Formats: sequence, C-alpha cells, structure tokens
Amino acid sequence: MRVSEMKIGESGIIERVTAPEPIKGRLFAMGVSKGNRLRLLDHTLKKETWEVEVEGTRIALRREEAEGIEVRQ
Amino acid sequence: MREIRAVMVGQPNVGKSSIINAISGARLHVGNFAGVTVEKKEVTFKRGEYEIDIVDLPGIYSLNAYTPEEHVAKNYLIEGEYDLIINVVDANVLQRNLILTLQLLDMRKRTVLVVNMVDEVEAQGGRIDGEMLSKLLGIPVVLTSAKEGRGVDELVDRIIETFQKERCDCEIYYHEKIEEEIEGLVEILLKSPHFNDRDLARFYTIRLLENDEDIYKIIHDLPIFLELHEALGESIRRLKLEFDAESVADIFADERSAIARSIVMQVVTLPRRESLTDRIDQILIHPIWGLPIFLLFMWLLFQVTFEVGSLPMEYIDQVVTNFAEWLRGILPPGDLNSVITDGVVPAVGAIIMFLPNILILFLGINLLEQTGYMARAAFLLDGFLKHFGLQGKAFIPLVSGFGCTVPAYMAARTLKNPKDRLITMLILGFMNCSARLPVYVLLIAAFFPTKSAGNILFTIYIGGALMGLVVAKILRKLLFKGEPEPFVMEMPPYRFPSLKVLAMELWIKTKLFIKKAGTFIAGAAMVIWFLSSYPLNGELRHSYEEKMAQATTQEERVRLQNELAARNLEYSYLGRIGKTIEPLFSPFGFDWRLSVAVVSGLAAKEVIVSTLATLYAVGEGGEESSTLISKLRENIDFKTAVALILIIMIYSPCVAAMSTFYSEVPQWAWRAFYTIYPNILAWIAAFTAYRLLALLGY
Repeated sequence: MRVSEMKIGESGIIERVTAPEPIKGRLFAMGVSKGNRLRLLDHTLKKETWEVEVEGTRIALRREEAEGIEVRQ
Repeated sequence: MREIRAVMVGQPNVGKSSIINAISGARLHVGNFAGVTVEKKEVTFKRGEYEIDIVDLPGIYSLNAYTPEEHVAKNYLIEGEYDLIINVVDANVLQRNLILTLQLLDMRKRTVLVVNMVDEVEAQGGRIDGEMLSKLLGIPVVLTSAKEGRGVDELVDRIIETFQKERCDCEIYYHEKIEEEIEGLVEILLKSPHFNDRDLARFYTIRLLENDEDIYKIIHDLPIFLELHEALGESIRRLKLEFDAESVADIFADERSAIARSIVMQVVTLPRRESLTDRIDQILIHPIWGLPIFLLFMWLLFQVTFEVGSLPMEYIDQVVTNFAEWLRGILPPGDLNSVITDGVVPAVGAIIMFLPNILILFLGINLLEQTGYMARAAFLLDGFLKHFGLQGKAFIPLVSGFGCTVPAYMAARTLKNPKDRLITMLILGFMNCSARLPVYVLLIAAFFPTKSAGNILFTIYIGGALMGLVVAKILRKLLFKGEPEPFVMEMPPYRFPSLKVLAMELWIKTKLFIKKAGTFIAGAAMVIWFLSSYPLNGELRHSYEEKMAQATTQEERVRLQNELAARNLEYSYLGRIGKTIEPLFSPFGFDWRLSVAVVSGLAAKEVIVSTLATLYAVGEGGEESSTLISKLRENIDFKTAVALILIIMIYSPCVAAMSTFYSEVPQWAWRAFYTIYPNILAWIAAFTAYRLLALLGY
C-alpha cells in the first residue's frame, strides 16, 4: 500500500522507498527507510501536501513522494 | 596553553546554538564561510591549560550534501583542520539523528556525542542510557539539556579527555560482506604513496561505494585511480547482487537505519503517547482551519511590524535632522559640509529609519522559525505555490517583500534549495515595498478619481504580486527546467523559543544592518549628491540672484529660488544624464524630468517624489502637496502616468536592495540577469499600456 492511499491516522512498516536521487537521500536521512514505522498524520484539502511521522520525526512531503513510499500494515 | 580545535555538527533543530550559548565565558564570533553566504559561528574559551575553539557548522541531515549549507559543512568536515568532532543529537528523535552520527563515525575521527534535550524525554517519563550508548558506539556520550544548563561542564571535560586520546575507539562495523569489499578497496588505495592513513582510506572507500562525487574528485588524480575505479565497479556489482538493491547507497542506508534502530532499542525507554505537538497540529494545520489561522498570524505580524515599527520613525528622523544641523554648524562651510549634511547623513538616516520595522519583522520571522510554525506555513501553502514553480517556504520572503525588499532577500535564506531561492529572489522586486507607497499615493491622487483611489492602490499591490508569480512560473519553465525540487521537509516539534538566542540573532542583524548603512548607502548617497550638484553654473546663479534681489514679494523669491534649483539640476550631471536617456523613455511620453525621476528612484523609491517636486520646481513637496499634483496634471497625461506606475511596479529595486541581492548571490551571470530583466520587462509593460491607452483614445 502506498502512503498516498492511506487514511489519516493509519500506520504501517515501510517496505520500499522509490524516488529520484536527491529526494531519496533526503528521505533516508529523515528516517524514511525500510523497517521503520510510518504514520499518516495529515494532508491538505486537495491532498497535495502530506504529513507523516516516522520514529518520532514529522515530515512534510508532496503527493509524488507519498506515492513512492510503500508500507505494510 | 594548548589549543583544541573542534567542530560542532548535527542535524537541524537539535539545539547546537543553545549549547554554545550555555558554555559560560565563551566569546562568539559570527562571520561567513569563505566565499559563500553561509553563516559561520565560532566560539573560543579557556578551561585549565586549554584554549578550546569550536566552529559551529550549519545543520545537516546527512553527508549526502544537497543544500549550500550542507556542502559547506561537508567540505569543512572533510578538508578542514580540526582535532575532534562534537556531534549533537536530539534525544527525542535519537534514531534519525544516529544515522548522521554513523556517517560521521565512518571518518574514524575523535568524536564526542552530545545527546541534547534529554530533559524533554525525561519529562515524558522516558530514559536514555548514556553509558550503554557510549559502549555501543565506542565514543564518549554526554547527556545535556542546554535549557537547564545540564551536562555542559561535563561536555567540556569530555572534549579535553577525547583530545588527549590518540584516535577514535569507534566500534561500528557494517555487514561482513560490505566490510570485505571495503577492506579490498582500502588495500588498493593504500598502494598509493600519498595515502597512508587507513582510517581515511576506509572513509573514502565507503563514500565512493555510495557514489559520492566530492570524494571522486579527490581520488581522480591519484595514480591508482584506474585500478581503484575498476575494483570499485566490481565491488558495487557484487554488493548489489548480494543485497538485491538498486544501489550501494541504498544498502548503506538500510544498514545504518538497522544499526540505529537496534541501538535505540537498547538505550532508550520512552513511553509513546500523543504529544503536545500532535494536539497543536490538529488545530494549526487542520485541512480547513489551517489556512485562515495562518492568514490571521500573518496579518498580525504585518500590523505589528508597521504599526509599532513606525512609532520611533519620527523620533529617529528628528534625531538625524538635528544631527545634520549640528554637523552643518561645526564643519567648515563648503563642499565637504554639503556632501555630508545634504548627501550622506539624510540618506543613511532614511535607511536607519527602517531599522525598527526590519527588527520587528525579523523578530517575528525568527519566532515563527524557532517555535516550529514556519514549517507549518510552508506545509499549508506549498500546494498553491507549487503551481507557480515555487516552494511553500518561499512565502515568508514574498510577504516580507511588501515591507522592504532588503530583509526579504535575507529571508530568502530559509529556502535551502539554491534554485528555489534564486527564483524567489528574482521575483521579490514585484512585491511592492513600503517605500513605493508615497509615489503611488501621489500619482493616484493626481490622475485617478478620489473615490476609487483605494481600489487602484489595492490593484497595484495585488497586480504586482500576481505578476511576480507569473514571472516565477515562466522562469521555472525557461531557465530552471528539468531538475526536480524536492519538498521533503522536517516538521519540528513546537518549542518555546529561547529568549537568549532570539536576542543574539537580533543583535547580529542590527550590527550587520548598521554596518551596511554606514558603508554602502553612505557611498551611494555621496555619488547621487555629486551628480546632482555639479558642475556649478556661476552665470545662472548670478542672474537669478539679481532677479531675487529685485523681487518684491516673498512668494516671488521662493518661486525664483525653486526655479534656480530646477535650472541648476538641469545643468548638473544628473540633468545631462536625464537628457541623454530621454530617448529611451520617450516612446511612452516621458520627458527628461520623468526620466531622471525614474532613475533617481534607483537610489530609493521615495526619492522619486522629492525629485519630481524639485524638477517641476515647486519646492519641498510631499505626497499631499496640491501644487505638485496640479503641476503633474499640467505636464503629464493619463497614459504617461499609467506607464510611470507600471515602470515603478516592475523595474529594478533600490540600490540597497540590489546590493543585498549581489551579496546573497555570488554568480555574475545571475547578478547580470537580475540587473537587466526587470527593466526590459518594465519598458515593455509601459510601452504596451501607453500604446493601448492611446488606441482607446485616452
């Protein structure tokens, strides 16, 4: 399941992160990597911007990045 | 006395500045890293027989440098001369912070780990086992709370202890398959005669496996490069196969993530529950209420900036005027007296007058940043600004631009991506600054019906902003296309701001600002004064003095005085420049006087009003001056006035703003582009509007 398909409040374990390079490195550095628990906190009205929490860190992303993160519930 | 040179490294928002502030007796130096506009903070202090010097590097998320700040920090870590690393981490999010720590430990330098904000973890009923952490990593660990001043003395002791050791006892190793490959590559590197440091070779090898271009550049010239390059390719191929991964960087990322997770499991006990931040966020970034609340905050910030900021304005103005008068009295009469009292002092004073506004705006922006709300504002606005090729964070400088373009350029520093920052800075001039207000007020009063004045003014401001956004879109399409602009941003937890840090930031801002006013603006004022005062025309003066002597009424004398000033100005270099550039502006009906007024607006936008007043010879004219308004009506027609408004909306901002841009953007190509394109755009807009209005019969 992609993060972009989750509902607010749901969580899961990250399985796979696909993104082009500068973004991927940045996601890893913020803790978005395989095995960590991710929770969807919020998104804007038009679902353009998303807020997730990974191991205590809150991170804002765009739809493109949210589509590239797969989680297992 | 022995010197210890340390660097302080950590991810953003871990409280490095607070730790530096908490070290008592430390003296702070603020400067820039060589060649870039990245702030460099440095402290020195004495402890026992040691003098300790700490360079505070910009916050970085990882060694995979991406922003200018990260490049500076990384270069300093790799090439700088220092004895040990102080790595600061946030106890609340230890796991994520440890990933950077693990990258740093690859360097095998002497390192002290500072686990800051440990009080916040304890307040939630959690605990961090510092001894265990130290054992697992093999480096000394200090638990601190900069807020409570806890652990700061111990940190200094640990720094000295670590300095006395020969090397790092770091215990971190990766999966044995990875270590095997590293070992093989290290042997090749060590064949090179320049290379005898096994620890450094290991670090380089790891970075090369992760495809680090900066290290590639260093290795590239070594004689063993070809052999290494081939072996590296082989290793990468084997590792990718073994771990079924897209790249070796992914493998290392997973490895570090796993190590960090297992360490955290062993040293942290933290009962997870809904934090205060979660509850505040439910309101402040609510899908529906988030935006209105944000707009309210912005409205308040600008109200305070302009209402409170304008209170001391008159006082400062008075002080400056008195100072100029006093100087006029004590300096010997002549050119020196005139250049200082008529040129430099009023110009510098006019800028200092904005200091309260700027400080309040910066205080507000710093507060937003420190409390963590800024990230929320960017979150809320990113969707809208994305349509124009901008990023959520661009909002802050754009709004500041309505106040003054100078701090807006500086506020653009919050944008870490160089392209986003450049686009934002290129369109900041379209946000009408407060200095242009008097000019608009004057022109609207002269050429538009009174009842629609407010709407016209509003249209000018909104029109400018929209034009800026459209230009941003075009720039993104034409000049910055191709590369993605990632919006992956940490949303830091809400925190109470540290008053000490706020005060320090404000003090630094004030110092820099006054320094600039005293040097650059003073210089520019001298040039303008010179151009408008020379060459002197003795004959003209003589003939007017005769006329004035014959004048019977006071009114007559004032009129002649003004006329003389106007004739002198026409004769001066500035007047001649006006005549020379007149053909450039004549396609939309400007005479030499309007041309000069527009050019003088480059010194400061308010200057346009006083220049118009002087050139149309009505003496001292403010925006309410009815004589100036009637003079303008006599000399300028409606379509020319519209063209003038458009020019002022679009063309280059004042020299103060331009010099700020130059100092923020080091590339000459962009400086040139920035200097030229708004003027071309302004010309086209003015010309089009003028011709259209002419067609419509105005």
